[in-house]
Amino acid sequence: MKPNYILLFILTLLWGCSGPNASSSTDPAKLSWEEIVEQGRGGVVQMMMWQGDPLINAYMQDYVIPEVKSRYDIDLKLANGQGNTIVSILAAELEAGQGSSEIDMVWINGETFYQLKQINGLYGPFTDKLPNSEWVNHENPFIGTDFQQPINGMEAPWGSVQQAIIYNSEMISEPPQSLEELASFVEANPGLFTIPNEFTGMSLLKAMLMDIAGGPEAFKGAFDEGVYNTYAPQLWEYLNRIKPYFWKQGETFPAQLAAMHQMFASGELAFTMSMNDSEVDNKVLQGIFPESSRAYVPAFGTIRNSHYLGITKLAQHKAAAMLVIDFLSSPEAQLKKQDPTVWGDGTVLEVENLPEEIRSQFENLPSRILAPKREDMLPRALMEPDPEYMIRISKDFRKFVIEG
Amino acid sequence: MYKALGIRWFLLLTVLPLAAGLIYALLYSLGLAGILGNGFTLAYWQSVFAEGVVWRSLGYSAYIATASMSLACLLALGLVIKLRTAFQKGILSYVIYFPLAIPAMVAAFISFQLLGKAGLFSRLTYALGLTESLQSFPDLVNDFWGIGIIFSHSLMAFPFLLLLFLGTYEGERLGELKQIAKTLGAGEGYISRKIVAPILLKQNFAAILLYFIFVLGSYEIPLLLGREAPQMISVLTIRKLQRYDLLDKPEAYIIALIYCVLVLTAMVISLRRSKILQKN
Amino acid sequence: MQKGFTYLLAALILLPFSLLLLLSLAEGWSFPSILPDAWTAEHWSRLFQLDGDLGQSLLLSIGISLFVATVATISGFLTSRFIAYSPFRERYLIMAYCPFVLSPVVYAACIHFFFIKMGLSGHIGGVLIGQLIIAYPFAVIICHGHWNERIRSMEQLVATLGGSRREAFQKVILPLSKGILLVCFFQCYLISWFEYGLTTLIGVGKVQTMTLKVFQYINEADIYLAALSSWLLFLPPAILLWFNKRFVFREVNVS
Repeated sequence: MKPNYILLFILTLLWGCSGPNASSSTDPAKLSWEEIVEQGRGGVVQMMMWQGDPLINAYMQDYVIPEVKSRYDIDLKLANGQGNTIVSILAAELEAGQGSSEIDMVWINGETFYQLKQINGLYGPFTDKLPNSEWVNHENPFIGTDFQQPINGMEAPWGSVQQAIIYNSEMISEPPQSLEELASFVEANPGLFTIPNEFTGMSLLKAMLMDIAGGPEAFKGAFDEGVYNTYAPQLWEYLNRIKPYFWKQGETFPAQLAAMHQMFASGELAFTMSMNDSEVDNKVLQGIFPESSRAYVPAFGTIRNSHYLGITKLAQHKAAAMLVIDFLSSPEAQLKKQDPTVWGDGTVLEVENLPEEIRSQFENLPSRILAPKREDMLPRALMEPDPEYMIRISKDFRKFVIEG
Repeated sequence: MYKALGIRWFLLLTVLPLAAGLIYALLYSLGLAGILGNGFTLAYWQSVFAEGVVWRSLGYSAYIATASMSLACLLALGLVIKLRTAFQKGILSYVIYFPLAIPAMVAAFISFQLLGKAGLFSRLTYALGLTESLQSFPDLVNDFWGIGIIFSHSLMAFPFLLLLFLGTYEGERLGELKQIAKTLGAGEGYISRKIVAPILLKQNFAAILLYFIFVLGSYEIPLLLGREAPQMISVLTIRKLQRYDLLDKPEAYIIALIYCVLVLTAMVISLRRSKILQKN
Repeated sequence: MQKGFTYLLAALILLPFSLLLLLSLAEGWSFPSILPDAWTAEHWSRLFQLDGDLGQSLLLSIGISLFVATVATISGFLTSRFIAYSPFRERYLIMAYCPFVLSPVVYAACIHFFFIKMGLSGHIGGVLIGQLIIAYPFAVIICHGHWNERIRSMEQLVATLGGSRREAFQKVILPLSKGILLVCFFQCYLISWFEYGLTTLIGVGKVQTMTLKVFQYINEADIYLAALSSWLLFLPPAILLWFNKRFVFREVNVS
């Protein structure tokens, strides 16, 4: 093969247009639910989700997959990937002009939702098609709004949680409630605290930023460059001041939450954190965390948000994905998910409105012991700010704190 | 006819993807391909050069590769010189092959379970009373000097080098050479340092160099045992490729290109100089 | 003295493997105990569940690696002959070294676009081709040195004696090449068997080979299953090495 042939071949590949076309099935938006069930039955649904937690994986693997198989004969397949991986894969597919995606369904929240909307990677609106959507508490601002963005039916709420800080009560009697208390705590007890350089850690930074700004009011609505530039430098200054007393002298930060949990479990750290306020209970139940573990929300508050399920624009099996999402929003699946021994993820349903029988089951779920009650955490709940804050914080945390 | 077919197969599987990949990366980095491509721009290149992260990452990768290979070479040389016969028969002649069956991911996992603060060594020092708590065990993973990464790579490389050296030792009849040197009055240490070691290293220069480059571009080990900054070059590239900010993607391709150009140039020069490409 | 040192060294080399085995049988390993808190065969039983994901990954990995190693070895062996005898030998060889030195994951990042274009991304086919792109040039590198003057003169001898090329190949070259073919197959098998970065990128996490499983378990901090799957990754090549060690390593020194 002469070189010019090779070049020609490359050029063809580069500029030659779209690949195989999307499946010819009708857009489910035009179908009734019965027709969607008919079309989705027997399909294969590829879901991409964060798989960093054994209990969540077990819930999917041992409960959801067999259930959708027996109900709809759907083969649900899982692949590991967080928000940024999902965005990069879907963007790459769009760049290549693909007619269909390798991923049908994604588990996302705010910042991924925002980016997927930017690249026009989501299918919808679809949630009003789902029968179980009627139970969902869309009026709750922590559910119906995702990072200040109305969800508009483009993603279905799946769980509602609040960030909790977990500490070992044997090592710490009074956990720090404010930024000053945290500073004096780490100075007195170096090496026991750190911030994971991922979603959960960035969420804590948002709460800290709001505290520095004197409250969450300034962060309502769209991203405000002025607000960010006023307060973010103070946050970096604060962190740089105390980071010599962090884990590994603040020279590096854990990249994964699971790694941080593991170090907490072994006693290397006295703190870890979770976007799931029930996690402390289920980790202690499993014997992973020491029994002296407790969760709390510091006085400056923590982010409360929801996580969602979306369908990709180029999904090959949209109807089947809708069936899976509908099942995941069902009172039955939500009940199971909220059980602290299963996952402990807060439901997005309005329990008050549910039929009597299932409502009492919700009310009789074994309550958690090691974390404060949900009602008690709510007064300290902060709304998610615009996703741009998250993007800027994670960029600048790297620039000014990790590399700084 | 077969010949033309064979060469075509070769070009299809090696040259075509390589050329296609590099051209795509170049176009992307210049804003000419991709979802955000809005026409020709040098902005991405300028920002990468201004940022300096890539240079730190390259320097860090070079440091890790040099340290790992030096350690592995020293260990392998020492064992070949001192314990050669033990590796030719008996238990070591079997056991030494086992580490060759460890993938990088598993090497990283093992290192973490050995060297971490809650790892086996920390438990042993605690049991022996050398450390009084888990916190007092030194930082050996995710640490400043990349000790965990270097340990893992050395663990993987030293058996390979050792077997390589053993082969050369026999192939080059170093035993006889040693005898001659001895009869001429050279001491054991002198022979090892001035004759055996240089011959072993020189004969295997190409293999050592290729392993060096392999460490330079390694991914799984620094991903699991490294720090958040600086990161080794493959980890940095993939992080830039898969970040929240889509604007980072062209930068990922620029880093990949810089790395490719540097490594390929270094490789071509060294391979040309070594005898590996000469006709046998 | 030397004997004692030999056993100490052997024990040190075996230490990581014993640790992995212990962890794969452990139920809890709290600090500061040196041995696990309790024992269980539960992790291992997961392997034998019919619909178990671990068993499936193991079979998938074996299948992919056997395919990649077979195709890379056969085609690498045959084509390396043309390359070795070609006037552009040096140029070709440099090209063959490129994928090897480029770090598979960075290489994969550059060519992923084309895999998506061809509809191969996220499919086993894509992973097979991706791994072949890494393994095949390596096979060429391993095999090209085999085509030396000796083989060449043998080929010529058969030709002078009136034998056909087919005969020369079947009766002379193949028997002489058994060793190199075995080495090459084993090395290519290992490249595929150990591959993580390219597989996760081009397979978009859907083609879950054993290395992806290990990573997933490490990622969810499940050290027991991570240890078990590490053992499964280590065992097949280790068994091969045990039976065939000298052969398998003989000519890795490619020069």
